[in-house]
Amino acid sequence: MSVDSVETVHLELDEDGFLCDPQTWNEQAVEALARLEDIDELTDGHWKVIHFLRDYHRQFGIAPMVRKLCKETGFTLQEIYTMFPSGPAKGACKLAGLPKPTGCV
Amino acid sequence: MKSPLHIAKQQDLDALGIEAAGKNTARDGLVSVLGEMSRSTRALSVMLDTCTKCGNCAEQCHSYLGTRDPHNVPAARADLMRRVYKRHFTLAGKSLGRFVGASACDDETIERWLTYFYQCNECRRCAVFCPFGIDTAEITIAARHILSRLGIVPKFMQGVAANLQNTGNNMGIGKPALIDCVEFIEEEMKEETGLDIKIPVDQPCSDILYVPSSADFFTNVDTMIGAAKIFHVLGANWTISSSALEAANFGLLFNLSIMRQHGQRLREAAAAVGASLVVHGECGHGWRAALMCTESASTPVPYRLQHVLDYACENLSRLPLSKLPLRVTLHDPCNYARAGGIVEQPREVLRACVEEFVEMTPNRRENFCCGGGSGLLMDEMMDIRLKLGQKKAEQVKAVGPLDYLAIPCSICKAQMPHVLKHNGMQALEMGGVLDLVGKALNLGGTKA
Repeated sequence: MSVDSVETVHLELDEDGFLCDPQTWNEQAVEALARLEDIDELTDGHWKVIHFLRDYHRQFGIAPMVRKLCKETGFTLQEIYTMFPSGPAKGACKLAGLPKPTGCV
Repeated sequence: MKSPLHIAKQQDLDALGIEAAGKNTARDGLVSVLGEMSRSTRALSVMLDTCTKCGNCAEQCHSYLGTRDPHNVPAARADLMRRVYKRHFTLAGKSLGRFVGASACDDETIERWLTYFYQCNECRRCAVFCPFGIDTAEITIAARHILSRLGIVPKFMQGVAANLQNTGNNMGIGKPALIDCVEFIEEEMKEETGLDIKIPVDQPCSDILYVPSSADFFTNVDTMIGAAKIFHVLGANWTISSSALEAANFGLLFNLSIMRQHGQRLREAAAAVGASLVVHGECGHGWRAALMCTESASTPVPYRLQHVLDYACENLSRLPLSKLPLRVTLHDPCNYARAGGIVEQPREVLRACVEEFVEMTPNRRENFCCGGGSGLLMDEMMDIRLKLGQKKAEQVKAVGPLDYLAIPCSICKAQMPHVLKHNGMQALEMGGVLDLVGKALNLGGTKA
């Protein structure tokens, strides 16, 4: 398969590399953010985590507890780290367009 | 060097209501707030007047040992403030200037304050070894407070304070989210033990208000589970508060007015549930703020204040514990061992929970900081954080094979995984002391 054109996505990111405006989140943004996070390929597993994070955040306004994320998606913490090298709080939340979890994390 | 810190925008600081200093320039502001503080805080002016430059502190400071940057020698760090203080507020400094180490504040002073007062973990180890007891943490606390009055605050601190203002906790957990978290944790405990162990929220007429770290509802769930099981087995009438779900008090680490506001928030939460005992969870600096800074900030509190590890130790004979087959060491959080009187209690609790408890060297009040203390958890500070954690990594490595590293403070829990990974020890399991208590307790449930 050949690629004729590479689409450019313009994203406004804050100093931590998170989306400045969560409204600008879309699937293209995820692909661009994945490249910045050194994620080569977005699998179904990545999308499962991303959609769970987004749904939870929409309902409760925060990122879910890490253990809940693992239990609900069926992935171990190690698997989450393999998919998102900078972890659930940073990499996964970044790709899901959530604000960066803050505090002692 | 220039600080890598991301700095908060002025409009976001305005929302926190931090009172701005100085009408003309930042330099005037710095001198004016320093004058205010040195007059009102006797300890600060005594420490600024006292140093003899004996150099004892240099080799005792993990920040200097890890970075080898001479500005990170505690006496040199304190001198960043001392020379301005001398120039403006002492007779010798006013008349003799540089001959007595006094110099006026300039733009470089402000840049250096930001760089080096944010490479001090406020661990107080220098104070243990200083012949005069000069406590650089007090000087750093004052310096960061002054910087905040000039509108210079790390974005990380501002973000935490904004969450605290909006929700009463650092992570920004509102009540519906808290209820969801609590239900999830209760289910986890039910699955594990077969018992209905409750975590009451905002329950009126409670004897005990438990103040956890809000990180216990994100990454450190086992710490919260340990606390809930202790209260359950003791039959305590306890609750957590959705309006003050935070043992941490980041105000101590960058702005003292914000620290006092959180002290007041805790006091109001205790009154709302009628608690006569307030038990603080696993958080180092927050325990220090509650224990050392509440009374003078908001008048004496009408309840007894106790740390959860002191509470567990006091009730140890009533806790049905079976020793876990683990070799465990304890990292003393700085604010427990050097500022909060929590030294022997975690050891007694650990000895009752595990088969082999071993000390790291040095320990207790001479222990080294994890390198994240005073809220240095920013990603942009990672290179510096790893250097600040170097002494700690060496200490842990020297203990030899371990099954678990007990680090009963949320800042340590956020910092140590990075430090251990950087030093090839990522496989070592770590967490709170309460985590182990929760696992060692025999609750007599169907699945126990």
